[in-house]
Amino acid sequence: MMQAYLENKREAATVGLLVTFLNFGFAILGALVAFLVFFGWMPFGERANILRSDLNNIEIIVTIASLIYAACCARTGFGLLRREKSSLRWSQWMLFITVMIGGAILLSVIIPVGLKFSLLLSQDIDLRAVINDTAAVSELAPMALMVGETLIGVNLFLIALLALLALLVFIIPPLDALRRIDGIRLIVAPPRRLIVAFMVLLTIGVACVLIAGAFTVPLYPGMTTIRDAENHRLLAGLLFFLPGFVGYRLVRQVEEESDELRRAIALTPGKFIRSELAKSPSAGAIIGFIAIFMAFTMATDLFLEPSSVASFLSNVATKGIIAIGVTYLMISGEFDLSVGSILGVTALSFMNFMTNGAPVFGVMEPIPAAMLAIFVAFVLGSINGVLLITTRIPSFIVTLGTLLAFRAITLVAIAGGRILRYSDHHDALPVIAISNLVFMALVVIGLLVVAFTAYRVLPVWYRQAAHAWSIREANGDFGTTGALIRTGVFLLALFVIVIAVIWLVAVFSYHSSAGGGQMVEVGYFDLFNGRVLSIGSEGDFFHMPIPRNANVRLAIVWWFIFVAIFHVILTNTSFGNSIFATGGNEGAARAQGVNVDRIKLQNFVIVALLTGIAAIYETARNPGVDPLKGTGWELEVIAMTVIGGALLTGGYGSVVGSLLGALIFGMLQTGLVLVGIESRLFAGTIGVIIIAAVVLNTLVRGGQRN
Amino acid sequence: MQYKQQNADALVDMVDIHKYFGSVQVLRGVDFHVDRQEIVGLLGDNGAGKSTLIKVLTGFHSLTRGQIYFDGDAVAIESPHDARELGIETVHQDLALVPLMSIARNFWLGQEPTYSIGPFRLLDKKKMASESVGALADVGIHIRDSEETVGTMSGGERQSIAIGRAVYFGKKLLILDEPTSALSVGETQKVLDYTIAAKEKGMGVIFITHNIRHVYEVADRFTIIERGHKLGDFYKSEVTENEVADMIVTGQIPERLRLYGEGAGE
Ligand SMILES: Nc1ncnc2c1ncn2[C@@H]1O[C@H](COP(=O)(O)OP(=O)(O)OP(=O)(O)O)[C@@H](O)[C@H]1O
Ligand SMILES: [Mg+2]
Repeated sequence: MMQAYLENKREAATVGLLVTFLNFGFAILGALVAFLVFFGWMPFGERANILRSDLNNIEIIVTIASLIYAACCARTGFGLLRREKSSLRWSQWMLFITVMIGGAILLSVIIPVGLKFSLLLSQDIDLRAVINDTAAVSELAPMALMVGETLIGVNLFLIALLALLALLVFIIPPLDALRRIDGIRLIVAPPRRLIVAFMVLLTIGVACVLIAGAFTVPLYPGMTTIRDAENHRLLAGLLFFLPGFVGYRLVRQVEEESDELRRAIALTPGKFIRSELAKSPSAGAIIGFIAIFMAFTMATDLFLEPSSVASFLSNVATKGIIAIGVTYLMISGEFDLSVGSILGVTALSFMNFMTNGAPVFGVMEPIPAAMLAIFVAFVLGSINGVLLITTRIPSFIVTLGTLLAFRAITLVAIAGGRILRYSDHHDALPVIAISNLVFMALVVIGLLVVAFTAYRVLPVWYRQAAHAWSIREANGDFGTTGALIRTGVFLLALFVIVIAVIWLVAVFSYHSSAGGGQMVEVGYFDLFNGRVLSIGSEGDFFHMPIPRNANVRLAIVWWFIFVAIFHVILTNTSFGNSIFATGGNEGAARAQGVNVDRIKLQNFVIVALLTGIAAIYETARNPGVDPLKGTGWELEVIAMTVIGGALLTGGYGSVVGSLLGALIFGMLQTGLVLVGIESRLFAGTIGVIIIAAVVLNTLVRGGQRN
Repeated sequence: MQYKQQNADALVDMVDIHKYFGSVQVLRGVDFHVDRQEIVGLLGDNGAGKSTLIKVLTGFHSLTRGQIYFDGDAVAIESPHDARELGIETVHQDLALVPLMSIARNFWLGQEPTYSIGPFRLLDKKKMASESVGALADVGIHIRDSEETVGTMSGGERQSIAIGRAVYFGKKLLILDEPTSALSVGETQKVLDYTIAAKEKGMGVIFITHNIRHVYEVADRFTIIERGHKLGDFYKSEVTENEVADMIVTGQIPERLRLYGEGAGE
């Protein structure tokens, strides 16, 4: 259709012109938004005084983004006027982006209002009275509330009635004959249009209630932070969203003679993104992560504080490490319920080796004790694996058994529910002194590693980027999104490497200079999982300033490192390939010569080792072990893994997904408290999120058959 | 009990193969052999034990009793990996591909090409992609994208990929267990063609199917299995298509052929 427009075909001309002017309209709108935001009429984020023009960072970003957006829209509009071919794809993307922006702006009002409105409702305030009483509220609010409530009420009533009737017809045999009557068929199998009508009415109802909420919420300044000005975003959101959506639907159909061009165009932005997402097991988790992150960021200003971020990262880091292993196991089609107990036993062993002493070695130093404790975990994991492959009992049963059996070890070892504390046996926490020489050697090694990777990787990336760029030069705008991304990645990598080198050199010179040259004393436990700022002498982490109040634990760093390593192993080695095959179709894997039993055993051991490492971190963070340490972790970890997109049935999942799952878990844990939702609701919320995540994952995977 | 190889220069000689699943006796003393450069049609009714026989040969099942000779040596094939090492490639009836994995990953499963960085060996994804596309194109399967997951493909496409893989990797023996059950007429003809091509390259082929017309076209010899026993070996020159079909259905050797059937020459 759009192609026809470019060729000046009459029937398409109207749509083409419409889209052209839509683009110009959006350009003006974008410029307007930039103006409004810049001068404080449309506030984003927190701001002391609306009329003062002290822009915060979010607003600066929004202003710049809107200007760029406006420019792009204007360029597209001109392109369409001059009937340039490349403007076709441009206009698709611009409209797509417009819809996204509109949706995001709408959400940025709806989510906080919804959250806060529900908070208000839960506080037993008679809304109607408030709305009617207050003159400050515009006439709209009570009306919207009334309309909304009526619509929702009538809808729900009708739906319930229909459902009841349908049930009756199905359950009571004598009524069976009724099914043949035309009117009844309407209830038993309602036509699509009826369903759509219900949905539309329900949506309008909810929207009305939300609008009422949007006007009511600002009346409680003590409890909420929404101001009227923020509600004005609703209008902007609608202005972007609706025309953009209509335009996007209109230009969707394009025809083109050249095969390559057709492929490039037939892949509309929506399809493109969907197909890209469908390739990644963690797609659902990515969407969920962004949504939840945005929701909390918009709902409370406390969420993006370094201290909150640090605290939620610290809380989930150890569980996230275990989730990596559980993901491996789940991909290979198995399951481990015993991780919590393994964690308990390992933590207990670690502490016990340092306080009461191990059988042969006596009282041990932290590092040997940690190694021995991880060996204990290794043994426990092997027990799981060997039981599984020798008895062929489902892993659910095997590990349910070991969950209880391993727990018995800690319960018996620590009599009477005491807590085994490091401080009960030793006066001070163990300390290790790192001499300058060692330190500098480490830095030099770091430098060499950085230099080597840069040497290996950068030329390749540069060539790729240059090649892609030349394609772009030759072919115009088609199929070159990859080129832009690759160039971006290359520049980013270059930047990161330069920063890394500068930082390492700075550390190097600091420690070799006279002033900075003292020994570095590090607590053993800090080395495992300390607050980052307690390492190093002057409250900085190797020369890198970290806010003092942030509880950044080293386990976070270890976690990300593990994620990177295990991600590469899973996606880039034959071992990883075998894991997928084992879970995806055990018989086929075996028929191709994969040693399925060995893979499973190895995965059980990997889970146990990672759990052991997590146990060391946990113990280092809080040097005391109680017999119930780790109880309930197995389910939380499995929840993270499932949210991250792994299939319980095996064969599908990713380590990055487990990372995202853990992050989502942590964000909810911290965010719900910050928003003011009671912690009692946490478990329930997680439950809902798990189900939503799995549904989302299934939707994103779309047509993929098993 | 002592076994001795019965067919001196056969590529594979399976002697007195027994396979019991618990109390279920699926194979009860089957002798089976494939000569070099020979296409053997392995035939029999549903549940006769054809798939079980080749799963024993490929190490997927361990055998209860019996002996396998490969290339003249007594071998113990304990896992599919061992069979692959010997140069045996198989398209299983029920164990073809992993649906959630991409074409390239399925193609290379169990023998992925790697390159090493220091002590680490990483998948050579470029080679995986290009060679799998190329190898499948060689056997007439044109795929859009080697990263596509197998689960989204049609049954016939999947079967073609499994066959293409076996043809690509097969060195000495190619086993096709009902390879054409999901294929169109054209695709089936291709499979028959490269069955013959494999033979001409010097490989032995075991071809299992219920479509006697297909196998009659390409096979040199038929082995008919009847409820765990071997009914007999018949060279193509000795029997007609109809006789083969009758034997499979009735489980009886017609009078005329008794000479060639079980016990012949002993
Ligand atoms: N793992 C198993 N455990 C128990 N019985 C089995 C097993 N595998 C196969 N059988 C039995 O062995 C018999 C032969 O099976 P097989 O798959 O070899 O038959 P087939 O000749 O390949 O048949 P078809 O032509 O239908 O593929 C069947 O009766 C089946 O029930
Ligand atoms: Mg079979």
